[in-house]
Amino acid sequence: MTSMDRRALLTRAALGATGLIAASAMGSLAPEAAFAASAQVPDPGAPDPNFAEGLITGRNQDLLQVQGSDGRLHKIQLTGVTSVWKLRPTTIDQARIGDGLYARGVKLPDGVLAAESVWINIVNLDVMINSIGRTGLNLDHHGQKVVGHVQEGITAAVYNGTPAISDLSMLKVGRHVQVIGAWRPGTNEIDLATIYAAN
Amino acid sequence: MFAQQVAAAQPLLIGLLLLWTSYGKLTRPEEAQKTALPKLVGEKRATPAYRTVGAIEAVLALALLSPPVWTAEVLAAIALGVGFTGYLVYAKIAVPEASCGCAGTAAKPVGARSIARALLLTATAAAALTASQGWWSAGPATLILIAEAAAFVVLSPELDRYWLLPLRRLRIRLSHPLAGTASNAVPLAATHRLLLLSPAHRAVTGFLRSDIRDYWDEADWRFVSYTARYDGRPATAVFAVPHDAATPEAVRVAVVDESSGQTLYRPALLSLAG
Repeated sequence: MTSMDRRALLTRAALGATGLIAASAMGSLAPEAAFAASAQVPDPGAPDPNFAEGLITGRNQDLLQVQGSDGRLHKIQLTGVTSVWKLRPTTIDQARIGDGLYARGVKLPDGVLAAESVWINIVNLDVMINSIGRTGLNLDHHGQKVVGHVQEGITAAVYNGTPAISDLSMLKVGRHVQVIGAWRPGTNEIDLATIYAAN
Repeated sequence: MFAQQVAAAQPLLIGLLLLWTSYGKLTRPEEAQKTALPKLVGEKRATPAYRTVGAIEAVLALALLSPPVWTAEVLAAIALGVGFTGYLVYAKIAVPEASCGCAGTAAKPVGARSIARALLLTATAAAALTASQGWWSAGPATLILIAEAAAFVVLSPELDRYWLLPLRRLRIRLSHPLAGTASNAVPLAATHRLLLLSPAHRAVTGFLRSDIRDYWDEADWRFVSYTARYDGRPATAVFAVPHDAATPEAVRVAVVDESSGQTLYRPALLSLAG
């Protein structure tokens, strides 16, 4: 079943325009083992077993090898039902070697983390806007220069906590803003997702 | 004759510059910890070393500004300029994140501008070598200092907020480079916020297992799906958010069985009540 058919089914379900659907109408996307296990509660002081972070150092089909920033090694299984964020919700093939990630899921008995949610290269920075150009912002993060690229159709701004809009023309030079974005590995550049500004 | 006067005028600029930089070092010696000094001379000696440099700058500045005219003062200024240049190059290589510590409290790391400023200081001091009279008798040659001072200002990251930021602000007020980004498209962040505030989300939040998995637009709606579990079964929660929704009550949701495609849960009353 294609993602289009799937979306059509979900569209009808959300709007209540459909009753029961035949059992064969939708193929299973979830590996049974991954989500049969229930979430474990971490021991006090111990690392959360259902969470992992680090750099992707290897990828074998949908099994990621991740080197944690604390030195721990993680194996993370992506599945058809894993949510993947990389600047926007995207597909599991976007997880590449060299990317950084945060993953949350269910630890399987063999030590593999079956990921339910993965955030790739996500950064959350308090910065000052140094200058504004046609393609993005030059930012200052505690003295370090960061280039923030505007992505048409994705980058949005939240002014004073009001709903996000695509209009970035109210951003001002010299102001502090908070940005959520996707880091471009090996650079000081990020693609901007959301900019929170107070005017 | 004029060259003589230009040379004679230089100590005035060097003196004022050193007074400014020494003031920052003497009044805020704790800034030393942000520089490369702790690595160069040790953490304990960084603050005394920083303060000593400030004191040397102050003494030399006063000597340059006041009579008599001694070549030794100029030679000391050259030595200081060379020392600063060497130190800054060392800092940029050894501790790239260290602040310059040159003047004021700017947290900016050492950059090409700071090094260029130290070189300019050295060159200015070298230009004063041939002076045989004091800056107070330099006459109209003193006006050249305005151009030199401007060069020092341009090379000082500490002063950017007084001229560079206002200039950039003015430019953006005249014509904002991102003025073309306004559109009627609803950003996902706006949909997400409305969704999180909705009764529909409250009704199913216990079933959700993932972040946003997929989203798409159709007609006047945006649809957002999440991986979910319902009654122990793998499922998908799909939200429908009207593009023109004014209130979160307009958001609808259904939980759909992952394998059969059946709608397992649909808090329809919520949308009617809204």
